[in-house]
Amino acid sequence: MLLGITLITFVVMQLAPGDFLSEMRMNPVVSPERIEQMRHNFGLDQPKPVQYLRWLGGLLRGDFGYSFAFQIPVLDLIGTRVGNTLLLNVSAFLFAWVIAVPLGIYSALNNYRFGDHALTVGALLGISLPTFFTGLLGLYFAYETKWLPIGGMTSVEYDFMDPFGKMADVAWHLVLPVIILGLGGIAGLMRQMRANMLEVMEQDYVRTARSKGLAGGVVIWKHAVRNAINPLITLFGFALGGLLSGSAILENIIGWPGLGNLLLEAVQKKDLYVVMGSLVIGSIMLVTGNLISDLLLAYVDPRVRYD
Amino acid sequence: MSRSLGVRRRLALLTAVVLMWPAALAGAAPAAEVFSPKVHPDADDPAAVHGGAYVTGVISDPKTFNLQAAQETSSTEAVGLLFDGLVEMNFRTGEIEPALAESWTLADDRGTWTFRLRRGVKWHDGRPFTAADVDFTLRAAFAPGGVSSERDVLTFDGKPVRWRVVDPLTIQIVMPKPIGFFLRLAGIAILPKHKLEAALAQGGAAFIRAWGVNTPPRELVGTGPYRMMQYVPGQRLSYARWTEYWKTDKQGRKLPYFDRVVTVIVPNLEALRLRFMARETDIYAARPREYADLKAKEREGAFTVIDGREGYGSELLVFNQNPAGVTDPKLTWFRDTRFRRALQHAIDRDGIVAQVYGGRATPAYGPISRGNTVYYNQSLPAFPYDLARAERQLAEAGYVKSGDRLRDGAGNAVAFTLTTNSENNDRVAIGNIVRQDLVKLGIRVTFAPEAFNSLVARLDGSRKWETMIMGLTGSIEPGTGRNVWVSSGSINMWHPGQKKPSAAWEAEIDQLFEQVATEFDQNKRKAAYHRWQQIMSEQSPMLFFTNPKSQVAVRNTIGSVKTGLGGAISPTEILYRRGGGR
Repeated sequence: MLLGITLITFVVMQLAPGDFLSEMRMNPVVSPERIEQMRHNFGLDQPKPVQYLRWLGGLLRGDFGYSFAFQIPVLDLIGTRVGNTLLLNVSAFLFAWVIAVPLGIYSALNNYRFGDHALTVGALLGISLPTFFTGLLGLYFAYETKWLPIGGMTSVEYDFMDPFGKMADVAWHLVLPVIILGLGGIAGLMRQMRANMLEVMEQDYVRTARSKGLAGGVVIWKHAVRNAINPLITLFGFALGGLLSGSAILENIIGWPGLGNLLLEAVQKKDLYVVMGSLVIGSIMLVTGNLISDLLLAYVDPRVRYD
Repeated sequence: MSRSLGVRRRLALLTAVVLMWPAALAGAAPAAEVFSPKVHPDADDPAAVHGGAYVTGVISDPKTFNLQAAQETSSTEAVGLLFDGLVEMNFRTGEIEPALAESWTLADDRGTWTFRLRRGVKWHDGRPFTAADVDFTLRAAFAPGGVSSERDVLTFDGKPVRWRVVDPLTIQIVMPKPIGFFLRLAGIAILPKHKLEAALAQGGAAFIRAWGVNTPPRELVGTGPYRMMQYVPGQRLSYARWTEYWKTDKQGRKLPYFDRVVTVIVPNLEALRLRFMARETDIYAARPREYADLKAKEREGAFTVIDGREGYGSELLVFNQNPAGVTDPKLTWFRDTRFRRALQHAIDRDGIVAQVYGGRATPAYGPISRGNTVYYNQSLPAFPYDLARAERQLAEAGYVKSGDRLRDGAGNAVAFTLTTNSENNDRVAIGNIVRQDLVKLGIRVTFAPEAFNSLVARLDGSRKWETMIMGLTGSIEPGTGRNVWVSSGSINMWHPGQKKPSAAWEAEIDQLFEQVATEFDQNKRKAAYHRWQQIMSEQSPMLFFTNPKSQVAVRNTIGSVKTGLGGAISPTEILYRRGGGR
C-alpha cells in the first residue's frame, strides 16, 4: 500500500509544471550554470524513474531523503514539528471525545426533545463551518477580548519562564485551537454516538434487560452504551491516521508550529521529498491507527475475538 | 591600549573612558590587538540608551543559516544580524562605507583592489578575525560542486575574481576586468574559517549543507552586532547583543543598543498585523492599502506609520518579441514600437495607484524607481492616461478601428492573451484594470492568470506566451541585474538569449550596460543609466505601472528611526528603546 501511495504522489508531483528550481530561474542574480549545478546536486537531472527508485531505496534503509529548500534530512525537518502537531491533535481529540460521547448519549436519551434539537442544530453548525473560518473568527475574538493569545504556541517571554510557567503558557495557547479543532470533531462524533445509541436502544437485548427489571442506569451504561460505542472505536482508528494532517489548515491560520505550514510550503514549492516523506509517515499512522482500533475493539467487544 | 577585552566590556558603559579611544587610535601601532571601531554615521541620537528587547515578526521560517546557501530573504534576514561584509551600504545615502575593511585602494590597473582589514575585530567565540577568513569565504564561494549564491556575484563575463592574502590584515582582490560597481558587490558576508573549514574540506556540495537550520545556534559564529541564542521552528528566533561589536555611536558608546532581539514567526501578514496591533511586536511593514487604516489607529496603538519613499520595484506589462514564442501577425504588433507606445497611454496608472495601492504608489514610466534617488532620470516623459490619444497613435501606426474591433493594416483583428501569476492579487487586479482599457480600444484581451510555476515553464521553456504582467524588485545599481536588460540575458523578458541584438536600440542598451560595468565615475554611470531609461521609455518594451511606497509602522517607544533609500528604515544596530525597559 505504501508503495502505491508514494508512487502516485511522485507521479502527481511530476505532472504539475515546474520543479523546485522554477522560482530561482526568474532571479536575475542566479546564473543558469548555478541552477544546473543545483539540479545535479539534488539529483533532479536523473531520469524520473531513477529518482523515484533512489528515494525508495533510501526509504527502505530509513533515509527519507533531503529537503531541497532546507538542505537538511526530511526526517530532521519533520521531527522538529511533529510533536507540536501531535500535541494539538491529541488534545483536540480528547476534548472532542470527552464532550461528544456524553452529549451523544444525552441526545439519544432525550430523543426529539428540546435538548436534542438544540444539540442537533449545534452539530450541524459545527460540521458545516470550515476551520479556516472558525480559526479566523477565533483569532479576532482573541484580539478583541484579549482573553486569549493571538495564535502561536508560546509567548515571547517563554524562554524566561520556569518549567511550570512554560507548561501553563503552552496550555494557554492551546485553548483556542483545541476548541476550534474540537468543535468540528464533536459535531460528527456526537451525531454518530446518538445514532448508535438509538439503534441499540431498539434492540431486543435492551428490551430484555429492561423487562428483567434492571435499573434504568444499569441498562443504559452496561448494555446500551457498551454496544453503541463499538463503531466509534473503528472511527478512533481512522482519527489516529488523521492526527498529523487533520489540523493543517488551522495550523496555518493560527500559527501553530506544526507540520501544516511546512507541508503547505513544500507542496507549493515542490519540495518533493518533504511531501513524500510526510505522506509516508501519515500512512504509517493510519495503518497503526487501524491496528490499534482493531485490537481495542477485540478488547471491548466480546463478540470479536482473534484466536 | 592593550587592555583585555573582558575589562573593556565592563568599561563599555563608562562613556568617559570610551571617549578616549579615538585619541588613543591616533597614535596606534598596527598591532592586531589594537581595536579601531567604526563610528556609525547615523548613530547620533544623544538620548539613545542600552538595554531592552526589540521584537519583530516575519512570515516564513529560515531555510538555512548558511548565507552562501541562502536563496530567500527569510534566510538572509534570520542571520543578517550575525555577519558583516568588507564594506556596507549606508541605508540613507546609498554610499559604500567601510565595514570589516577599514580602508581600500584601487591600483592603477583599475582591477586590483587592496583591502586593509579592521584591527581587533573578534568572532563571537573570541577568535580574532583575519584575512584568512576572507580567503576562506572566497574559496567557499568557488568550491567545485558548490552552488554558493556569492559565486555569480563574483564572476564577471564567466571569469571569477582572483585574490591573495598579503598579510593577516590585508587582502588583495583582482578583477578579471575593471568593474565600476565592484564595491557594491564587496559586501558579501565573511564567514568564520575555524568553524566551517571542515565542511568545505568535503567539497562545495557539503559546504552548502553545512549550517542548516538544525545547527545549534551557538555554532553560528559571526562578527555582527548580535549572536543567535535560539531558533524554535515555526515560533521564534532570538538574539543577544554581541558586547564586543566593532561599531560605536557618535558619542563613542558601543553599538548595538538592544540587549535582545526577538523575531516571532507567524503564518501570514494578517497574523503579523494582529500581533503588532496587540503590541506584541514593535514594527510592522504594512502593505500600501493598509496605510490609511493604520494611520487612523496611530494614537490608540502608540505607534507611528512612517510615510516612506517608493521601493525599487515595479509591476510591469511585457510583450513577447521572441519569434520562437509568438507568430505573425502578433509578433509584428509586439515588435512595433508605435503599437507599444500607443498602449502606454491606455494604462490608467492613477487608477491603479488608487484602486490597487490605496494611493500609496507613484506612477512609473521607466525601469528605475523614483525611490532610487541616485539614478532616477527626472526628465523621463510621463504617459498620461488618454484613450483618445492612444487611439490616434494607433491610427497613425496603421491600425484601424472599425465598429468595436481594432484591426491592423492587413485586416487582422488585434487580439491577444494577457497572463500573470494568479497567486499575486495585486497583479491580478492590475490585469483586470488594463484589460478593460484595452477592450475600450477595440483590442480583445483574454486575461488568464495561471500558477507561478506554469508561468515560469513558459517563460523559460516553451517561450509560448503573448503578454504578461510581472514584477521586478530592482536594486540600487541596475547593472547588477543586467541579465534582465541586455539582449543576450538569460532572463531578458521580451526576447531572451539573443545571439545578436535584433534592433538598434537593443544594441545600444547592451553597450550601455557594458559601459556602466567598467565605469568608475558614478556621474558617468548615472549618465549611462539616464540614457538607458530614456531608451526604455522611447521603445517601451515593458510598460511599467507604479512604484509602490513603503509604510512601516513603528512603536513610539523605539528611538532613532530614520527613513532611507528604497523605503528602508534604520538598521537594528542603531535603534534603541526609549527608557530601556521591556
